[in-house]
Amino acid sequence: MADRAASEDLTEVQSNGNGAAREFVEEWRDVAYNCFSSGHKFCREVCPVMQVTRDERHTPTAFHANVVAMEKGHLSIEDVAEDYVHCTMCGACELRCPNTLFTGDFYRFRQRTVDVVKAARALAVKEGIHQKDWKRWAELTDRWGNEPVLGWTKETSGSKVRAWAAGLDIPTGGETVLFADCEAAFKRPSVPRAVALILREAGVEFGLMDQQWCCGGPMWETGYVEIAHKMAEHNMLDWRKTGTRRVICLDPHDYITIIENYPSLDASFDEFEIVLAVDEIAEQIRDGKLRLTTPVERTVTYHDPCRLNKRMGVWQSPREILRAIPGLTFVDVDHVTQWSYCSGAGSNLGVAKPELTAEISRRRVAKVRELDGVDTLVSACPWSERPLTEQGEAQGIEVYDIFELVAEAAGFEV
Amino acid sequence: MAVALLDSVVDELTAICGPDHVFTGRSATFNRARVPAPFPVHKWDEHVPSAVVLPTSAHQVSEVVKMANRHRIPVVPRAGATGLTDGAVPLRHGIVVDVKLMNQILDLDHENRTVTVGPGINMLKLNEELRKHGYIYPDNPASYPCSLVGGRIGTSGWSLIGARYGHTRDLVISFEIVLPTGEIVRVGDGGGRTVRKSSSGYQLKHLFMGHQGTLGIVTEATLELVPRPEAEFSAFFAYGDYMDAWRATGDLARSGVATLAGVVLFDEWKLAYLRRDDEAYIPQPESIKGVIACASYGNADEVRIGAKRLLRIGNASGGVYLGDEISQGDWASRHDRYATPQHGRTRDGQVALMSWHCEDASIPYSELPAVREEWHAIAAKLRERFDMFDDWGMFAYTNGAFKPWGDYLTEIDIGIWETRWDEETWAAWVDAKRELARVSIEHGGSISACHGSCREGEVDLVPAELGGGFEVMKTIKRGLDPNNIMNPGKYLLDQAYEEA
Amino acid sequence: MLGFKLSAQRPPEPERVADGVVSRFEHVFEVEPALMTEHVRQQDIPNWDFQRIVDSRWEHLAWMHEHFADSVISGEELLAELEAEQPNP
Repeated sequence: MADRAASEDLTEVQSNGNGAAREFVEEWRDVAYNCFSSGHKFCREVCPVMQVTRDERHTPTAFHANVVAMEKGHLSIEDVAEDYVHCTMCGACELRCPNTLFTGDFYRFRQRTVDVVKAARALAVKEGIHQKDWKRWAELTDRWGNEPVLGWTKETSGSKVRAWAAGLDIPTGGETVLFADCEAAFKRPSVPRAVALILREAGVEFGLMDQQWCCGGPMWETGYVEIAHKMAEHNMLDWRKTGTRRVICLDPHDYITIIENYPSLDASFDEFEIVLAVDEIAEQIRDGKLRLTTPVERTVTYHDPCRLNKRMGVWQSPREILRAIPGLTFVDVDHVTQWSYCSGAGSNLGVAKPELTAEISRRRVAKVRELDGVDTLVSACPWSERPLTEQGEAQGIEVYDIFELVAEAAGFEV
Repeated sequence: MAVALLDSVVDELTAICGPDHVFTGRSATFNRARVPAPFPVHKWDEHVPSAVVLPTSAHQVSEVVKMANRHRIPVVPRAGATGLTDGAVPLRHGIVVDVKLMNQILDLDHENRTVTVGPGINMLKLNEELRKHGYIYPDNPASYPCSLVGGRIGTSGWSLIGARYGHTRDLVISFEIVLPTGEIVRVGDGGGRTVRKSSSGYQLKHLFMGHQGTLGIVTEATLELVPRPEAEFSAFFAYGDYMDAWRATGDLARSGVATLAGVVLFDEWKLAYLRRDDEAYIPQPESIKGVIACASYGNADEVRIGAKRLLRIGNASGGVYLGDEISQGDWASRHDRYATPQHGRTRDGQVALMSWHCEDASIPYSELPAVREEWHAIAAKLRERFDMFDDWGMFAYTNGAFKPWGDYLTEIDIGIWETRWDEETWAAWVDAKRELARVSIEHGGSISACHGSCREGEVDLVPAELGGGFEVMKTIKRGLDPNNIMNPGKYLLDQAYEEA
Repeated sequence: MLGFKLSAQRPPEPERVADGVVSRFEHVFEVEPALMTEHVRQQDIPNWDFQRIVDSRWEHLAWMHEHFADSVISGEELLAELEAEQPNP
């Protein structure tokens, strides 16, 4: 990603900028100025964090203004590191920004708020400013290979990451592998089991990685870049070791991490094809290879996971899948309205600020309750399902993963 | 830099608003000194508040203001901070009262067709809720997705569809405001929270419309509920000559079509600018020198009949209908139309990230062609001197509510490459703003149709525009704010105290 | 191709359509890249992301219509009606 501009017209970073801070400012000043100079703030009311805190320090536009302020010597990373924790990296801000939505494609210069937040968090880590639980999370991820999604003491090692597949007799490696992320593999094993069963039903041949590690996404997102690189390099090595060319991701977080971050680490990345499970399954249904015949008598609405909908523009496949499930009454809320929805789970906000995640997901589930007759909220992202399920229990709404419902409709019990 | 408040003052604020809603840190204060561009980034640290509070009730606001008044500490209200005349900039530091947490819908009165809200609510978000009941609150500025009701009152805003539904002053029925001495009062046309028309006493609602935070802090507002439109119609017409387009604009605005929501005239500079990057205009031939957009809303049958009349007027005036794709797509984009920095071009045509400055006078219809010439000349002179200014063209929008034929919100958009600011270029810019304002007044207009006129340069001419009215303004200010604590430094109102 | 392939993310060569404007994909315009070489440089945007922005814009505009009114009346249709209403010369 090359968006560093010639800097002849920009003032020098002031004396408080040390090496790392100066590099940060130099890399991000144009993107930051692209926001700062417009001051639109169209991001504010779609931002899930701002909808709760209403604190201007947490606006996406403040995340850019801070870069300008750092360049002018008004603020330092010490002043703002904690502010940058207040973000789920849902991407609503940068999509809703006119700089992206109206002219980002024309100029090939879009607003990049998520990347600015990542870079600011990485700078904080580099400067020794840690969020206590993010640091602990990173250390355990580094030690175990997968994120400590079962709590601080229950080991989530690479050797246990296939436990969900017990009894399914899935081979190791091969042309196609199913990548089942930390949260799904350890915390919600019904999701990878469902995906495995329906892929097999559709006749898709696939294996599992020899030893899958975390995709690295949360490490990039919380500033622990070296650990992220280690994870990514391990996973690509594992794919090559077992002859894998095609990776199916059931979790949008894994998918976006792999397609956005892995290519720059590996000159031969083009030998891999990375596939979203929702796209794969929608195609299998469309082609008649996966037949859904068991009625699922529920009235559902769909939660657009942020990384699918806002970050990648994927909203059609899940709806196509839901409409193919017999017995299901689907009450849709359009995906543009959902640009301002979020579960609050993204970028490990729930680890650093659990009350904030809980409030964001409480509001999300409250919106479900406003829909006539809806008893079930369906998501397509295991990370979102943890806080949504907790809030759903409190508000009388059941929360399912889309693949759990598809498996049920295909006649499986998961 | 910010002036530190006494610890005892911060303690008092904390006692009033709670520890989670009082901030004095650098990030909290610097990020609440900022407003939209052109922002004097080279002078950012001169206007940083000393503390920020996020109150949750009128009572808290009142207590904060009373305390500040006792200690003679400046208070600056802040809602969305998207205003284009720096109303929310704390010129004298002090306490910023940020009302964003007061964003609840408090009451929906179906019988009398009103909704009562906190000042921190945004119109788009409000309308997402109102839609469930078949209503719309049609206050529709370019900042529709981000400006907040409190700020709309503070600036007396303008709405894109105001010709049909009225502007902020017409849509806000009454509101509650904390005066500079801390009293909480409700103002409307007269009394009565939901009364639209009264002749009882002074019409105080209008006094507090557009006060730019100098007369208090709005803590609640009762708003008009309008039936959600069944239908929308928009039409864009092209003309080979600006004067033809100007004449047709008048014809459309005077048509008497009841569903007409607005007419917008684009001049040839604006079209040249749009041809830089707008997919609707790139394919348009160079021979087009003026475009008109008009739109209407309402019941489907009425909109259809009115639309036919508008199309007949467009055709008869020599306009070429630009087709549904532009008419519908471009209109939809005007509900939240902000310029983006990439529009900027240096003299040699290179893209430079420029901020958007929008000058927004009210100009009588008859004067539009002349003002246009003079304004472009001012912009051209700026660009000639400094390769950091760019003329982004002009719009004229119907400005009157319900009877949209008299004057026009006349806008020249100027791109400014702000990283190049220095004392000389800033001074040249301020001079240019003063010149633009002078032209407006000389042609019988007003310096601002919707933003307010507080910024450097333009503000110098406010006394000239208002004449004896400015003396009345000063008297009111001194009477309501005896210690000049409420947003001091705005609108030359310090003069009220120098004389006293 | 259902999934992501890196080599499928590079945009095709541009064709010039007007002063300062090029096109690489049907009905989508872009700035002449030479205009973004001095003061601000273009980003390396993969095709999937480019398409996401284009699609999102149209989806957003459709959403805005629906946000303000239940239906949109077509000027082209009304013009045809007006023409039909005209008595033949």
